[in-house]
Amino acid sequence: MTTQTESTPKATPVSPLKRFLPPIIAAALVAALGVGLLRGNGGQVGGPLVGKAAPAFALQTLDGGTISLASLKGRPVVLNFWASWCLPCRDEAPILRDLSEKQTATGLAVVGVVFSDKNLKAVRAFTQEYALAYPSLLDPNLNTSIAYGVSGVPETFFIDKEGMVRGYDQGGLTPERLQAGLGKIGVVN
Amino acid sequence: MQGPWRGVLALLLALSFVLASAQALSPAQEAQAQAIGRTIRCPVCQGLPITESPSELSQSMLRDLREQVVAGRSTDQITGYFAARYGDTVLLDPPRRGVNLLLWLGPVVAAVLGVWWLALYLRRTRSAAIIVPDAETEEEQDDYMARVKAEVAHGRPS
Repeated sequence: MTTQTESTPKATPVSPLKRFLPPIIAAALVAALGVGLLRGNGGQVGGPLVGKAAPAFALQTLDGGTISLASLKGRPVVLNFWASWCLPCRDEAPILRDLSEKQTATGLAVVGVVFSDKNLKAVRAFTQEYALAYPSLLDPNLNTSIAYGVSGVPETFFIDKEGMVRGYDQGGLTPERLQAGLGKIGVVN
Repeated sequence: MQGPWRGVLALLLALSFVLASAQALSPAQEAQAQAIGRTIRCPVCQGLPITESPSELSQSMLRDLREQVVAGRSTDQITGYFAARYGDTVLLDPPRRGVNLLLWLGPVVAAVLGVWWLALYLRRTRSAAIIVPDAETEEEQDDYMARVKAEVAHGRPS
């Protein structure tokens, strides 16, 4: 009887490959899952439009005027999509207001675009509450929002003097993230 | 042509252009728009195509898509337009390139590896089954087994 039990381990020697392959595969799968999950989290700084020409637009302002991207040619532009119902937009509005106070006629231009917000009364109340001096454009058919691939506000595009998108931020600007974006379009804040 | 008539003609042309762009799509164009729309993911929904989402953004994207179909743009051009703006994640049928290749090749590689492992396993168990009554084991049988074998060989009941 003892001879039989002794012969068993001799019949099935475990090779190192067989021993370590399952844990290696499991670790690789967990690592891939981790990378996939972490990659989509938090604010994004790279967007599909970065490095491409900024889509043209010509939209009405809240005051009834018209602003087009072509009219801003030669100036670096911070294009911010927002809505009155958007909570993170309330956090970044003061940051953008402070930035807009430094803009000049030939230098940086800060422009807002109202995204999916039919309540004009609330939009005006928002601009008054945060004393936004920069123009906010209306995009009733969402044509410009779609052209920029906007799906949820706030989203901000940093466009350089040549009209190329150089930076993108989603999820709410912080002073640091704004600084990073401005650096990409050659603006020293 | 006289001045006023030129104005009227220009007005008629402009009017016909506006009507043409606003008019409904032909059944074939609508079918093409719906087919493309079914492959575009609604960016503000969970895995819904823009044709099935009531959200304002999806409806606007579908309107944009219809206009592109009327303008004669091809399916690739239209899906490329949305992918360039929203990224490849907007496509419900991801293109077979880059990291996406893992999506398509992963299951095939897994199936091939699985079949290979199964074949290996079956071959090993079959050869093991043949080896079981090997000489070494038989030698180690006790007297009782030897008697049983002898009785079986002589056809005698126990």
